[in-house]
Amino acid sequence: MIPDLIESILKILFIFGVNIGFFSPILGWVERKQSALMQDRVGANRADIFGFTIIGLFHPIADAIKVLTKEDFIPDGADRLIHTIAPFVSLTPAIIAFAVIPFGGQYELFGHKVNLIIADLDVGILFIFAFASLGSFGAVLGGWASNNNWSFLGGLRASAQMLSYEVVMGLNIIGVIMVYGTLRLSEIGAMQVDLFDWGIFLQPVGFVLFFTCAIAENKRAPFDVAEAESELVAGYFTEYSGLKFVMFWMGEFLEIVTISALVTTMFFGAWHLPFVSDKMLVDFFLGFAGDNGATILAMVVNIITFFAKVVFFIWLQMTIRWTLPRFRYDQVMRLGWKMFLPIALINIFITGLVLLVK
Amino acid sequence: MGIPIEKLKPKRVRKNIELTLWERLYIFEIIRGVTITTKHFVTNLIGFVLPPKGEKRSIITVYYPDEKVTLPAAYRGRPVLVARDNGTEKCVACGLCEKICPASAITIIAEERESGERYPASYTLDMSRCVYCGYCEEVCPKEAIVMSAEYEGLAKRDRNNLRYSKEMLLRSEKSVKDRIEYIRGIYSKCNY
Repeated sequence: MIPDLIESILKILFIFGVNIGFFSPILGWVERKQSALMQDRVGANRADIFGFTIIGLFHPIADAIKVLTKEDFIPDGADRLIHTIAPFVSLTPAIIAFAVIPFGGQYELFGHKVNLIIADLDVGILFIFAFASLGSFGAVLGGWASNNNWSFLGGLRASAQMLSYEVVMGLNIIGVIMVYGTLRLSEIGAMQVDLFDWGIFLQPVGFVLFFTCAIAENKRAPFDVAEAESELVAGYFTEYSGLKFVMFWMGEFLEIVTISALVTTMFFGAWHLPFVSDKMLVDFFLGFAGDNGATILAMVVNIITFFAKVVFFIWLQMTIRWTLPRFRYDQVMRLGWKMFLPIALINIFITGLVLLVK
Repeated sequence: MGIPIEKLKPKRVRKNIELTLWERLYIFEIIRGVTITTKHFVTNLIGFVLPPKGEKRSIITVYYPDEKVTLPAAYRGRPVLVARDNGTEKCVACGLCEKICPASAITIIAEERESGERYPASYTLDMSRCVYCGYCEEVCPKEAIVMSAEYEGLAKRDRNNLRYSKEMLLRSEKSVKDRIEYIRGIYSKCNY
């Protein structure tokens, strides 16, 4: 009982620390710096403390101070309650979704079973989808409650876009579920020990479609028609300022992390190094680190592997975001319904055929 | 002779460009684009971690307040008065610059020394009016006013502070040597 509690608290603290304490502030810096490097610029590097700038790493701190001291503005005629709730609706699902994503395998530590996942749900994927859909309510409610035409249009676009891409995303997942035969994310992760068992080799089309749909779901370029700076000022969060604005922002960044983690778990071997199973790792460390030490070392290696993959996919998403121009709105819809939906259906069909033949 | 007329005609503009199947698949074009940006990212990242010395760095942005560009002699910055070696101005208060100034930025009050030499008792240059055209420099028969390479400190809280007096404008001849040599090349003045 007590060890279970301690384990849960440690895992929650770890995920919270990594997501909210590390990823969400650092991603703002990454976005600035990476876009700068990709465009042959220098990027933000002026915030300094006693003359030290550390390649602009103080900018998140400066941002935080600025945001905390900003006026929290609610426009005239806005629905005050919903306007206030919307950013929470947007941020909370992004935080919660990580609860069912495994960031390591299962270990035996001091006679206690450690499962590196906060909530090992047997419907993990569905849980994530449910909360991703909830997150879209934040955009819709925020756009509607702001009493602003830009926001309203942004909210409308967000709702239509997310509705259509949710469908394709769900269909893509069906392929993965068919291959692995489970909805439990930790089991899907545990099955991908061998390199050629990774989802990318079993479901290559599924991976491309899922990744694209996930970016579209997160409303980032090239699918950022919902915020579209050049058309809609800032889309659904035009009328937000201060902390509430940052909550939308953080929700977006955390969703990047969640998408990367999900893609890693389902298509890129989760916490596994290629060709190295958990047992081999433990056996390797057993030689010099003792029983529990070896487990801990293996655990650390697995967690680092997992987050290295996550960081890679974050980088990939940022690269795509700063490479491609925005789709026109009708193109987004056409891509979703006319291209991706048939491809996803064909993918399911072919997967089924292959499974049947095997 | 010259260029034959056919070559001057614009090439046929391609309208309604038909995309090839490869381009219409889109994913490969995305990969191509991402490769280009990744190339830039990696080159700049390496240049960022290990900055190459000298001119050949990948990001050519100048870190302005810390670094400054060396401006070419052709740059027309703030006009300054040239001083002789003994610290007095070369200007003889002929009033040509005052006359030609399109923005009426220059005001001169002339006086005569006991030797009979004219000099400006007061020479006021209103930098809030100056348009940096360089006519004053071109018209000056004595190389007494030149456009310097100075471009900073021209923003003030009060417009009155932008009215520069003779003392504030005086610069040694050495500091504007490049510009003087340059204008000798571009203007044909009678006394050179």
